[in-house]
Amino acid sequence: MYQRSAAIVGAAHSQLGEVPGSTAIGLMADAAVAAVVDAGLTPSDIDGIVVRGPDDEYCFHQQLGERLGLNASFSTSLDNGGASQSLAVILASLAIEAGLATAVLCGYARNSWTRTRRSGSRNARMNQSTHARIREWRDSFGYFGEPATHALGAQRHMATYGTTKEHLGHVAVSVREHATRNPHAQIRWPLTMDEYMDGRPITDPFGIYDCSLRTDGAGAVVVTDVARARDLPHTPVIVRGFGSQNNLRGWTVDDHMVQTAAKASGELAYRSADVSPSDIDTAQLYDCFTYMLLVQIEDYGFCEKGEGGEFISAGALGLDGEIPTNTSGGQLSEGHVEGMLQVVEGVRQLRHEYPAERQVTDAELALVSGHGGNTVCHSTLILERGR
Amino acid sequence: MSTSASETTAESVGAPRTIPRPTSESRYFWDACARHELVIQRCTSCGRCWFPPSNHCQYCWSEDFAWTPVSGRGELYTFTVFRRAYASELVEQIPYVVGVVELEEGPRLITNITECETAHVRVGMPVEVVFNDIAEGFTLHAFRPREDPQSPGTGAV
Repeated sequence: MYQRSAAIVGAAHSQLGEVPGSTAIGLMADAAVAAVVDAGLTPSDIDGIVVRGPDDEYCFHQQLGERLGLNASFSTSLDNGGASQSLAVILASLAIEAGLATAVLCGYARNSWTRTRRSGSRNARMNQSTHARIREWRDSFGYFGEPATHALGAQRHMATYGTTKEHLGHVAVSVREHATRNPHAQIRWPLTMDEYMDGRPITDPFGIYDCSLRTDGAGAVVVTDVARARDLPHTPVIVRGFGSQNNLRGWTVDDHMVQTAAKASGELAYRSADVSPSDIDTAQLYDCFTYMLLVQIEDYGFCEKGEGGEFISAGALGLDGEIPTNTSGGQLSEGHVEGMLQVVEGVRQLRHEYPAERQVTDAELALVSGHGGNTVCHSTLILERGR
Repeated sequence: MSTSASETTAESVGAPRTIPRPTSESRYFWDACARHELVIQRCTSCGRCWFPPSNHCQYCWSEDFAWTPVSGRGELYTFTVFRRAYASELVEQIPYVVGVVELEEGPRLITNITECETAHVRVGMPVEVVFNDIAEGFTLHAFRPREDPQSPGTGAV
């Protein structure tokens, strides 16, 4: 069993949003350096790297080590899509406990806004899918893009449980409300339900405000052992427990669309941390689309299965709600950095470093999720404010 | 069609489509579609079916299977209506419906829903296969309602 001996001691993000001409590795280095500085460590302290970049960037950890002049006893790049970033912290914690490394940089970077702009067409990259199997079994039917994949799940959930478009709207509006108080958020203007409902239709039931943003940005954290963490500048954030689940049989099979891998990943994480959903003070969930936040609220047991829509519509995600969620604005509003900013936000909330208007009062436990890999891979962190 | 050709776009039955390049595993399936036959693999060891095509039974890993004609009937498990064109050749096509159909035999297929107003498409709707010859020697499956789909869709608008 994991002995809870790892802690996050540094956290940072790069410039976020529209960063013309940016490269993913450049943004990654910005965030990595800032996270190490935040931790009060020096380059020679870092002996581990677990990162991920855009899917077409080979060996991202090697690129980062080259830039920052680091060798590493433990390093790799991950391939679990949006679940990779929480998984990076899990692997770092295990590596530290096993003695493979003493201080591990975890991070993710993308330059999606710049890439889209450079291509001259917002659609250019989607005209042909990258995997032969997807080209064969999806493209032929006009099935392009990630919104459709998640929309298929949303539509099934709506038919099964009576979830409505308005319920999804409450996700978008709630998360945006948090973003209005985050000076780094890519979109900060308040979203009303009317504006949400009038949003440009994409693929039913999703409109533009159900979809996360195209972001240039990176996030990074530094993980080390708890004993060392106590000598560093910030209140340590203990990696109290974690879980993962990968429904590799696929998104369209079994009941994976309406009960996602978050369910089993969460059960493992709660057991690992020896806590229950009611103990969690704030959740930072992978909100690539509104529906994915809603279904995870259910899968993590913050409400009953099928009741996520009503629960969220009653204000559950707000700073004073039942479970303050995506308090930085999430991927729907702060910026889509594939779950890495969720880790960073969880750390900051547990350090109590925000002004009162953004701070979850007395936050002691945060749950962070990552989801991706053709929407079947999932990882969960349960983080605890240290002493 | 030739396996050496890259995927191409053909204009036929009203809409241009990306024509997939069949693989050694999928060629039999697409050839059957061209004959207006829907076939899936059934394991000769455990009797279960799977889709898309691959050389091992997903349940018992047997390599012994038989291509089996299926009823072509099923239920619409879920769907989405595309309101935005992801490729210039699809602009004329929207709105169109991509669905996941659960066949009576078990497996689920990604396909298109056709011969039905988008507002009338609903989850759980009984459907049956039809075939679209989109290019010389190449046919895609689609599904249409088996009953008059008069009841309004569930969130389908």
